[in-house]
Amino acid sequence: MTRDQSRWTRQPSTAPSTLNRRKFLSVAGAGVAGGSLLTMLDARQAPAQIRGTSLRMLKWSHFVPAYDAWVDKFAKEWGDKNGVKVRVDHIPHLELPARYAAEFAAGGGHDLIHFAGQILTGQYYRHLVDLSDIATGLGRKYGGWMENAKSAGQVGGTWYGVPDFFIAIPLLWRKDLFDSVGRPAPKTWDDLRTAARLLKPKGKPTGMQFSHCNDANHNWRALMYSFGVKETDPSGQSVAIDSKEMREALRFAKAMYDEGMTPEVFSWDDASDNRFLASGVGCWIHDAISAFVTTKDTNPKVFEHTYVLDEAQGPVAKWNVGEPNVWAIWKFSKNIPAAKEFIQHISDNQKHAMTASRGYNMPFLRDQYKKPMPVLGADPKLSALQEQDKITAFFGHPGPMTPAAQEVLTTFIVPDMFTRVARGAAIEDTMKWGVGEIRRIYAKHKAS
Amino acid sequence: MAVSGRVGVLSWWRTPTARRYLFGYTLLAPAVLYVLLLVGVPFLFSLYLAMSDASVGAPVARFVGLENFQAALQSTAFYKALGNTLFFTVGAGILKGLLGTTLAFLLLRPFVGRKVVRALVVIPFTLPIAVSVLGWKWMFDSQFSVVNWALSRLWLIGTYGSPDWPVWLGQPNLALMSVMFVNVWRGFPFSAIVLLAGLTSVPPEIVEAAKVDGASFLQRFRLVIVPMIAPILFVGAAFDTVFTLSDLSIVYLLTNGGPDGATEILPTLAYNTGIRAGALGRGAAISLFLFPLLLPAMILLLRTLRRREH
Amino acid sequence: MATVAYRAPRSHPSKEIRRHTLIYLGLLPFLLIAVFPIFWMLITALKQDPDLYRMDVVPFWFHLPPTWRHFDFLFHNTFYKDWIVNTMSISFWVSAITLLTAVPAGYALARLRLPGAENLGIGIFMTYLVPAIILFIPLARVVSTLDLQDSWWSLVVVYPTFTIPFCTWLLMGFFKTVPVEIEEAAMVDGCGQLGALCRIVLPVSWPGIITSVIFSFTLSMQDFLYSLAFVSISEQKPVPLGVATELIRGDVFFWGSLMAGALLVGVPVAIIYNLFLDKFITGITGAAIR
Repeated sequence: MTRDQSRWTRQPSTAPSTLNRRKFLSVAGAGVAGGSLLTMLDARQAPAQIRGTSLRMLKWSHFVPAYDAWVDKFAKEWGDKNGVKVRVDHIPHLELPARYAAEFAAGGGHDLIHFAGQILTGQYYRHLVDLSDIATGLGRKYGGWMENAKSAGQVGGTWYGVPDFFIAIPLLWRKDLFDSVGRPAPKTWDDLRTAARLLKPKGKPTGMQFSHCNDANHNWRALMYSFGVKETDPSGQSVAIDSKEMREALRFAKAMYDEGMTPEVFSWDDASDNRFLASGVGCWIHDAISAFVTTKDTNPKVFEHTYVLDEAQGPVAKWNVGEPNVWAIWKFSKNIPAAKEFIQHISDNQKHAMTASRGYNMPFLRDQYKKPMPVLGADPKLSALQEQDKITAFFGHPGPMTPAAQEVLTTFIVPDMFTRVARGAAIEDTMKWGVGEIRRIYAKHKAS
Repeated sequence: MAVSGRVGVLSWWRTPTARRYLFGYTLLAPAVLYVLLLVGVPFLFSLYLAMSDASVGAPVARFVGLENFQAALQSTAFYKALGNTLFFTVGAGILKGLLGTTLAFLLLRPFVGRKVVRALVVIPFTLPIAVSVLGWKWMFDSQFSVVNWALSRLWLIGTYGSPDWPVWLGQPNLALMSVMFVNVWRGFPFSAIVLLAGLTSVPPEIVEAAKVDGASFLQRFRLVIVPMIAPILFVGAAFDTVFTLSDLSIVYLLTNGGPDGATEILPTLAYNTGIRAGALGRGAAISLFLFPLLLPAMILLLRTLRRREH
Repeated sequence: MATVAYRAPRSHPSKEIRRHTLIYLGLLPFLLIAVFPIFWMLITALKQDPDLYRMDVVPFWFHLPPTWRHFDFLFHNTFYKDWIVNTMSISFWVSAITLLTAVPAGYALARLRLPGAENLGIGIFMTYLVPAIILFIPLARVVSTLDLQDSWWSLVVVYPTFTIPFCTWLLMGFFKTVPVEIEEAAMVDGCGQLGALCRIVLPVSWPGIITSVIFSFTLSMQDFLYSLAFVSISEQKPVPLGVATELIRGDVFFWGSLMAGALLVGVPVAIIYNLFLDKFITGITGAAIR
């Protein structure tokens, strides 16, 4: 982990951030056709009114520590240029909601905030600044927003948040192990199940979290949606999970667990499958590419044989479930103009952000999927991720990310349903329980 | 008071009783005001939350009466959390009591190295809980657990990947035991110290007298020592119970209530529902659920205790 | 010393050896349970990372040379020094506030035969039943009204809510053990009631006071939620929050530095604890027995 630590020092350590500013700008220009970004960076002059003010923003502690170093530096440089005193605070993503609840109750805190994974736009929109001008402007400039992503920032057609990026959660699989049992590169969930069935007896099982953690929520939703499950109708009003597709997904998960996993998956947190892969035991995992990057450092031998699949095809569809990240501004923010200016500025520099995050931050805007994308385009193993915009859904799919969908997510009902079935509960009982809990949540939100 | 009726309020204020009251309430005021302002008033606010449909973004909300409590009672997740909470608190309490008593007896009489041993056993209690729990998370890891490594080498469990390899935080009963164990690990040194304090205060002559009368060790313990240290036992147990009941961090950091609610306790359920999902009213109701049961129990306990003193 | 209530017979060396053996045998499991995790944390803090993820060798010892890197990292790449200073400052002020409020309150409840005192005492204790998970929201309002958001001073305001009740009870019990006669004698000598409290009662009550201070310290270090909600600036965090929030990065745990960060505050506190343990025991005994 010494390597992890060097990545996580406060001094930026990745390429673009260690360059001096002039060089930084030229690299930026080189990355884009026609140097449009260079023009933007230099030409965009923030309004004079923000000069001499200060701006505090809160972000999560990014899984790729080098990205935080980059953001801190990026914000500082922007502040220096525009005469704004900037300060960026970072806390773990799981703790952001508690912090926001406190800030809201206090009526003060950070001028610019960031939702990560837990999209609270729907909870707080009455108290968030209307950012439609920025969001629609960005949409026009960069070929439009991904349709699925809009609900991360919109409530009732108004933008109260500006989507920043999402985390893709693809499949990482071991080619050497698949070869050893004569299996080709996986394409479908069936392929993955078969490989795990063959490899488990050889001490190389697979694993997806059956526990109360973020990954469990996203992984099982990816499987569900690929089996054609709809959590709600497209409006997000009525629950649609009670379907034969959901029963199929549960049955499949149970079989995959029995054939290809060990009971340790019940205790896993978000980091366990990273170690599982890095230790050389796992034959495939379903996780963000930070797991892939970490393996490069901790176990180069495994890394060499690890490949990335954008997502497995299910019987009905192919859906990856992303973790969205969204900018927002409190109405009680003390510096709304500077906060808006900064959102605009960092959104215009998406390529640098993506580079600094080692390809982790996936864009929401269509034009930003032009190949080659930063980092992903340059790495043959990751290049498949350059069409993630076409296969990414978010929690609540196909409905929007409403507060009700958020509550279903944070109370871990979906992973619990899969856990019950994997442990041997009857599918009908599980459906009755899970659907009941979900319906209760939606009914309450409708009433209030 | 009778005086004031006859001679008038003014002169009553000059009586020693009045001066004592004035002095006493002045001394009490800072503590009472502090607690009243920073706990009492916010508490009323939480009561209001529990009876409203408030969410984090809309704290000014409709009054819904006991609807949030009813909703909790309709949810199986809540019953599970309630059951786990009771099991966790009672189980951990009993274990802490047993381990604490044994340790206190062992530490009671002087021996070589007593101070060192005492210093070592109190460490679990002095480490910040949020961090020592992370140490346990590492020790309970499904793959790199040092506990499993040792047990496996002692042939007590199977090897990694075999069905006899315990997954401490993954198997339903084991997971609850594991989080309970961490609570016990942290709490038993404190129980031992409290009991040690109690035992120290029992005059040796009484115990010796009982010995002479032919009472066995257990009899002496039950009939002589326990009644004498009962008050300290009660206060210690009451504090510990209250702290255990409201302790979020162990479960939150180890399992977050999973898998499938196996370790869900009321604080984690309330936190995830009320804060992380934003349904403040529901969360408040869940977290206040035990209040009506605990309040009379505590009042009864403390009253009896104070009566005994007189 | 009160703790040495049982005098061991010194005359039979063989009996002594047997007694010691039994005690050591009895203590062994306790020491194992209490100390092994600490030992393991220490080893982890000193191991190189690749050494952590090996299950093929005995994990209790080093297979790569031990390293100070994780400690180094704490001090040079995080705000650990600030966190320690913050924790110490918070604990100091919390103890001060607690003593200033709990000593008079405990005395009043114990001695002054006030009408309603019993219910007030029970009422103060009852505040522990109020769940912190909801309480922090209205408290956030208080903190911001005082303009203390994102400063460790906010915790100085909040932590006494859970130290005052405990220490009031503790001290109340303790003051009851001080014989009324010496106080009355002092008052006859011309001290007022306040004078008697300061000059006579306090000096003989210092085990109780030390117990309160130690408790305030440990309870302050056990909080996680309040500090999380009120302090988001790295250099204002107390140790537990700083360590738990800045040394875990989603799917990367900095195990070595985490353990180092915990031990560096936990072990000194344990030593201080032990220095005062006898007083501590006298303190609790006084509080609860008589």
